[in-house]
Amino acid sequence: MYDLAKKKAAHLLKKRGSLSSLSSHEVKAKETFAKTKDSISTVSYMEELGHHDDIPRPAVQMENTYQLSPTRRFPVLTVTSYLQEEKYEPELCRQMTKTISEVVKARVKDLMIPRYKIIVIISIGQIRDQNMRMGSRCLWDETCDNFSSHTFKNSSLFSTATVYGVYFE
Amino acid sequence: MDLKKVAFSPDDASNVVKECIEGIVGGVDYSQNKVNQWTASIVEHTLTQLVKQGKPFKYIVNCAVMQKSGAGLHTANSCYWDTTTDGSCTVRWENRTMYCVVSVFAVAIAL
Repeated sequence: MYDLAKKKAAHLLKKRGSLSSLSSHEVKAKETFAKTKDSISTVSYMEELGHHDDIPRPAVQMENTYQLSPTRRFPVLTVTSYLQEEKYEPELCRQMTKTISEVVKARVKDLMIPRYKIIVIISIGQIRDQNMRMGSRCLWDETCDNFSSHTFKNSSLFSTATVYGVYFE
Repeated sequence: MDLKKVAFSPDDASNVVKECIEGIVGGVDYSQNKVNQWTASIVEHTLTQLVKQGKPFKYIVNCAVMQKSGAGLHTANSCYWDTTTDGSCTVRWENRTMYCVVSVFAVAIAL
């Protein structure tokens, strides 16, 4: 399934001449024991997929300002269908987050208006009596940029999916 | 007028983000009452600092704060954009009682 999504994504990218970037982060399940050090921060790694296109696209002069239509359908269908039966497992979920984000992005790309840049963020976490908060702020042009998000929960895991669309002048 | 496209610099952005996180939740323990205002201030503060740099980008800042309870969390993102000018940066921070993951996405605008 993952290979298929990867091939499809690479094929779609070939036509448009841009590179897809995929990055993932993981917080490992740890035993809780007292730590004396205060805090650490780390920066993520990125995996590059697809191929490079050397011919740069010329800047376009025209301006279209169509509102991005709600993308609610895709995150809902994809996330629910992939995760319906799953139990949380670290290895599986690591792969699953990457797969789902690629697939959602490919589907959104297929049906959206051209000249939009797409950003898809997927989080999958284990449910274990903890609390969690996600927030996001965007600095963009409100008349033509928008986003859509969806959360899914089953007995052992939860998942959030958010798609942002940014218009390219 | 400068016609050259400026590429996004993840290192600059990650420093900005780290400073913001440290400033807001630096030495504190997880508190359910306050987490709402923490996530809001982290994203707003990061956004204002990034905008102050004056670069021609649209920004999306995403922040997740999670209590440490032994549970695991995975996040992934996938982006369709122009890799010569656009970019992202993610900072993962933790202390004794919580995890904080902040992602910044920057999309170039044509001047």
